[in-house]
Amino acid sequence: MIPAGPQIKLLAPVLSNRMITPGSYILSFQAAEIAGTARPGQFVMVRCGTGSERVLRRPLGIHRVNFTGPAKGEVSLLYSVVGSGTRWLSELKAGEYIDILGPLGNGFSLGPANRRLLLVAGGIGFSPLNFLAAEAVKKSIKVTLLLGAGTARDLYPEELLPQDIEPVMVTEDGSAGKKGLVTDYLKLFLPGVDQVCACGPLGMYRAIEARRKLLKETPVQVSLETRLGCGIGACFGCTVKTRTGLKRVCRDGPVFDIDEILWSEVKI
Amino acid sequence: MPDFVLDTDLPPSHLKLMVQLAPGHPTGLNLSNPVIAASGTFGYGDEYSEITDIQRLGAIVCKGTTLNPRQGNPQPRLVETASGLLNSIGLENIGVDRLVREKAPVWAEWKVPVIVNIAGESLKEYKDLAAKLRGVKGIAALELNISCPNIKAGGIEFGRRPDLTARVTAAVKARNELPLIVKLSPNVSDIVPIARAAAREGADALCLVNTLKGMAIDIPGKKKLPAFGSGGLSGPAIKPVALYMVYAVAEAVDKPIVGCGGIESVQDVLEFMAAGARAVEIGTASFTNPSTMINIIKDLTDYLSRSGINDINQLVGTAHRW
Repeated sequence: MIPAGPQIKLLAPVLSNRMITPGSYILSFQAAEIAGTARPGQFVMVRCGTGSERVLRRPLGIHRVNFTGPAKGEVSLLYSVVGSGTRWLSELKAGEYIDILGPLGNGFSLGPANRRLLLVAGGIGFSPLNFLAAEAVKKSIKVTLLLGAGTARDLYPEELLPQDIEPVMVTEDGSAGKKGLVTDYLKLFLPGVDQVCACGPLGMYRAIEARRKLLKETPVQVSLETRLGCGIGACFGCTVKTRTGLKRVCRDGPVFDIDEILWSEVKI
Repeated sequence: MPDFVLDTDLPPSHLKLMVQLAPGHPTGLNLSNPVIAASGTFGYGDEYSEITDIQRLGAIVCKGTTLNPRQGNPQPRLVETASGLLNSIGLENIGVDRLVREKAPVWAEWKVPVIVNIAGESLKEYKDLAAKLRGVKGIAALELNISCPNIKAGGIEFGRRPDLTARVTAAVKARNELPLIVKLSPNVSDIVPIARAAAREGADALCLVNTLKGMAIDIPGKKKLPAFGSGGLSGPAIKPVALYMVYAVAEAVDKPIVGCGGIESVQDVLEFMAAGARAVEIGTASFTNPSTMINIIKDLTDYLSRSGINDINQLVGTAHRW
């Protein structure tokens, strides 16, 4: 393992960029420097374009790192095409270069004594939890993943999930797996769990927060998403109010303890 | 494969990149080169130090600072628009007392000069800010922000009327010995009388321009953006506006001008200098590429070498003779 180093900016060769569900892609690039230092929950700022049209980089969570493949330090990002920037990104081809700044932010932290981890993923929010699941498995932590999507065709492909975890698929329309929202199944999978990590839309966090009593003392970490400017804590574009004052999502987060956030104040 | 080389060599000794922003002031406010990090885009300077060599910049202007800490505006605060960025941070900042206590001592150890941007809601607040920053080590100059479009009271109002610009400039000048740059708003019908008022009351330099007021509308979400209801537009979209205002003020006012607005390349810097700017502030382009300013300094050196120009000051105002 390369010791943790500073954030870097680099042009990394794209290894692959393929659609996995309608409108969602996994882009892999070669960057041993990032693969070696990144922690689950950290993100990179990706430049989407080469001209002046789009001035902001797009923050994307690190989905997977891989040292074993032929690329020796492969980093993967999972993203949905939501606008012109991610559309541009989806058109990048293997062999082209991607302009990356990272790894950035504070990721998830696994309690040293924890043995059973429950991951709660809403849609594309699964992105950083995949990296976390792989790390947890390495530490012999038992991982259950509640993985939600609107409908079957939008569900993250099961064959791409890390091995040795227990996935529970949930769709809103019941077209695959269990029917409903991932948060409807918290109670069912909570017994024995000593840590919960979640990534998804704000509504999902509010639903978890509403079930805080059910979760008792179980620590819950969530990854917040706001619009980011600089990605490194300089522009104050992403600040949210917390119980311990104003926090920058990009530098103090994006992962926070659920009890730290003032959910009544958060509008993203 | 890094896309830039960290080149620690100084420019060839016969090339002069140094610019002076306060010729009438005892310190002169001499910058090693004309590239300045714009307020609000570069935090308190240290945030970028891991990614780029901040000590090589001409200067850094810190986050707009108010008398009391401010929490800023609600989320979302940022919206990207065509070649631009709308922001409504609302001057979230740690307040002047913490700045003096925690930031200035760090800056005092730096080679790069740090300029403190000050913003107030009333004349009294500007006076108090100036007084609190008097004699503080680690601060090279003040930048008077009378042009922030994102707070409900004060701020931009001082930058919209020549009489108020004059009063606030004189008040700050009377209470603080540091060189003073007055940063003007483009949200006015004629910027020249405002620039003249600031110059007459002792501004050492003028910076133009701050952001242009604008908004976006999210039709499916039925929302005004940023959440504040409006924001300040920056980025390449505003460059022609800023360039014209620099040109117009340079024609009318004999003070060093710092150009600001959409600058992202050495070409842009050359244009602003030709229009009359002696230095430039770079903001949004640092978000697109954190190496922008360092790359521009290197490109400026190359340009001077290639063009056989020994002193960068020779580039200032050339377009007025064309």
